[in-house]
Amino acid sequence: MKDIAASEDRLHALDAVRGFALLLGVAFHAALSFMPGWPPGIWAMNDNSPSQFLSDAAFVAHIFRMSLFFFIAGYFGRLLLLRLGTGAFWFNRGKRIALPLVAGWVVLYPLISFIWVTGITKVFGGTLPPMPEMPKTPGAFPLTHLWFLYQLLLIYAAVLAIRAIVTRLDHAQKLRRFVDKVLAGSIRTTAGVFVFGIPLAAALIALPTWFYWQGIPAPDQSLIPQIPATVGFGTAFTIGWLVHRSKDALILLSSRWIQHLVFAVVATGWLIHVMHGEPMATPGTTKTLYALVFGVAVWSWVFALTGAALRFLSNYSAARRYIADASYWIYLVHLPVVAAFQVWVGHWPLHWSVKYPFILVASFAMLFLSYHSLVRSTFIGQLLNGRKYSRDKGRTPPPPGSTPASPAPADTGNGAAVARLRGITKRFGATTALAGIDIEVRPGELLAVLGPNGAGKSTAISLWLGLIEPDAGVVTLFGGSPHDIARRRGLGVMMQDVEMPKELRARELVALASSYYTHPLEVDETLRRAGIAQFADRPYGKLSGGQKRQTQFAIAICGRPKVLFLDEPTVGLDIQAREALWNSIRALLADGCSIVLTTHYLEEAEALADRVAVVAKGRVIAAGSVDDMRALVARRRISCESSLTADEVRAWPGVVEASHDAAKLQITATDAEGVVRRLLANDTTLTRLEVRQAGLNEAFAELTREAA
Amino acid sequence: MNSMTLTSTGSTPTAPTSRRVFGAYLAETRYELMRQLRNPGIAIPVLVLPVALYALFAVAIAGEAIAKDPGVGIYMFAGFAVMAVTMPALFGIGATLAMERDMGLLRLKRAQPAPAGAWLVAKIACGIGLGLIAYLPMVIVALASGKLALDAGQMVAMSAALLSGTIPFCAMGLMVGTVVSGSAAPGYANLIYLPGCYLSGMFFPLPKSMHWQVQIWPQFHLDQLAMHAAGATKFQFEPVMIAVVSLIGYTALFSAVAIWRLARKG
Repeated sequence: MKDIAASEDRLHALDAVRGFALLLGVAFHAALSFMPGWPPGIWAMNDNSPSQFLSDAAFVAHIFRMSLFFFIAGYFGRLLLLRLGTGAFWFNRGKRIALPLVAGWVVLYPLISFIWVTGITKVFGGTLPPMPEMPKTPGAFPLTHLWFLYQLLLIYAAVLAIRAIVTRLDHAQKLRRFVDKVLAGSIRTTAGVFVFGIPLAAALIALPTWFYWQGIPAPDQSLIPQIPATVGFGTAFTIGWLVHRSKDALILLSSRWIQHLVFAVVATGWLIHVMHGEPMATPGTTKTLYALVFGVAVWSWVFALTGAALRFLSNYSAARRYIADASYWIYLVHLPVVAAFQVWVGHWPLHWSVKYPFILVASFAMLFLSYHSLVRSTFIGQLLNGRKYSRDKGRTPPPPGSTPASPAPADTGNGAAVARLRGITKRFGATTALAGIDIEVRPGELLAVLGPNGAGKSTAISLWLGLIEPDAGVVTLFGGSPHDIARRRGLGVMMQDVEMPKELRARELVALASSYYTHPLEVDETLRRAGIAQFADRPYGKLSGGQKRQTQFAIAICGRPKVLFLDEPTVGLDIQAREALWNSIRALLADGCSIVLTTHYLEEAEALADRVAVVAKGRVIAAGSVDDMRALVARRRISCESSLTADEVRAWPGVVEASHDAAKLQITATDAEGVVRRLLANDTTLTRLEVRQAGLNEAFAELTREAA
Repeated sequence: MNSMTLTSTGSTPTAPTSRRVFGAYLAETRYELMRQLRNPGIAIPVLVLPVALYALFAVAIAGEAIAKDPGVGIYMFAGFAVMAVTMPALFGIGATLAMERDMGLLRLKRAQPAPAGAWLVAKIACGIGLGLIAYLPMVIVALASGKLALDAGQMVAMSAALLSGTIPFCAMGLMVGTVVSGSAAPGYANLIYLPGCYLSGMFFPLPKSMHWQVQIWPQFHLDQLAMHAAGATKFQFEPVMIAVVSLIGYTALFSAVAIWRLARKG
């Protein structure tokens, strides 16, 4: 179940990447009327304000955009195949890929031809020059920009055929496990970007004519598979497929995105530099090197962008979902729209930096509008995206499995936990800070987390705040991830060991923190509630230790939190300030705020808590009401020299634990008086009797020993 | 594998309006600016030093040379202006960020519902803003003393070039701030900044034997960008595109290191 939830998160990121690749294609085509040095007639329009910058930018986008698309297609391809089985897979692909290809071509081709003819007539000053005929080779066919659907179908067929052979030959999965290992290794070491591009490089080197700018020549003129495209996009698809097989590949990608980005930038810089000197490849070392570096650039961009998306876009966002849904339709129909705008503005006496953004904005506006009105809630949307959105819903419903982020405890369900740690393990290097801990905070209660230093209290708080991630287990805040800023708007926090900027005044610090929340308290009201009004206009650096803590408390409560995390809030406060802070905490509880408070001091828990959890060595060793805890600490330690054995004494009522160390008998008792009476009665030779109140730390230490 | 559920949702009834989000960015920027201006350790050297040095060297000492060749005036102005606009970016951002990391303030901001990029935007805006505050008095001194022979268009172009040139130094500040600790940050910032000021030849012309190394320093490229903007052909030693690309490259490099460090250490 957990794995499914996690993989759904990843799908959001990959959907975003696919949408990006497709929308980037729109921006790419929109730039093509501004290419300097292109002979008239090669595109629908040659703008009168060409741009070297757009030419370079389009080149960069073109390096990776289709490979990125096929990479993601490979990932989703395997996902779909496993989900549906072969028959249903082909039926699904027929609906979603083949049908749009055929129907799209029939509708779009005449439109595109019309705009091309209009544009080229305009370019040639009113007379249409003789159009070049389609090459008379077998299979020649003007696929237009829809070639990618055709190519995708071919690749599906090839990969499914190879898969059938591999499953037949590789019974023990030895080969496949080896491939998985190689893939993970090559991503981990970032060697993949240097290796995966080699087949493509070989195909490019073999091209008789290759303009560097065109990258992988688009196979848009023929139904016969073209070698560079088939090899390049086939590799991309295959790697995407294998990444879906691998358990670790996506995690590795998300942690290596910067390295990949650096490779991408460096390789791209070199490619542009060389291309400026020599736009067309001549056989020789440069061409070979160029093709190899091109392969590196392709893969570094693909991995960098996918990794960055996994790192930053893994959560569900309604806006991104909408754009990702719209992107397929938009890419399918964009070409006539974009070209029409290019033709229209082509002779305007304006700079490209005005015209290009205009084309983009106008095209996207029209395309999104067409998606919203014609596609999203109609059978076309059903066909293209497998889902028809209802019209009356203003916004996209969240995907199944996610819960609404609401800071209101009422929305977390009746009696449900406001914040919860379930089965959490967290290690820092060799130290285990939390070992399978379960804690929950219920609406409106104050939970005191008690424990000695290093028990794992602050680690637990950090998990709830989304500052660290668990090695195992589930963290929830208001029923979902604490990474979601909407949920964090419902929390207030006072951390240990945090210093605020010393130049700012307490009032300014509160005002700044208030700006993060949707409905904060008035600043003066916060200052009053936290009891810091009298020194609010002094710089933080000039405040006493206690006043600083009080200021941090004010910062924690300024946003009317539904849950408040207070990590050792009263350390360093004098008695008066501590009493004042306790009163503020009681007022918050009366307002229905839930509070988690970590402390060393039992009296603090006694004064405030509804429930107490005692944490030691990363585990909850006792949990219950304050009275339960008081009973724990009411234990006393008795020691004496006696002829009685530990085993005898252990069986007595009121004895929790007994042991013999060196010369003395050590007893922990809840009823010390009773035990002492019986000791003296049973052993008249007893000497050196001592009875001590067990301190809280001692009680913890003992509990820990018991728990071990 | 981390199996924490990351389910989440989009907008909720309690999501703040975009005005409030903008307000949060604005507040962050405003208080960042206030605290830097209130910190004498940053404000005085960064804001007063460049204009004082410019007044001393260009107006008082080199006045005669400038009267003979107005190009020298542009050269000197550009040199000190580069210093003026880059120091707040580097020292303001680098030192404060390193300190804030030590103080745990970044952790607190990550826990609070602060917009993710607000502190970063605030720091960069402050770097540019303080750069402007340091730069304007120089313009006044230069124009009042008549040591800068530029027309209004060239003046505007040069100012725009200089101010946009603060961006790579903001990135450098971010890098320093994320790599070293708070107490060491000013030292390291000086260590990578000062050699560039002298070895880039922006304060005084270098002997030919040292020309090979000027391109290493980001200051050199910013100085060159300013020379191109001002149309001072005599002091243009590299094409404008090289200057622009180098500055972008440095920005990317420094930012990458900063992001890498932030991603690892937070």
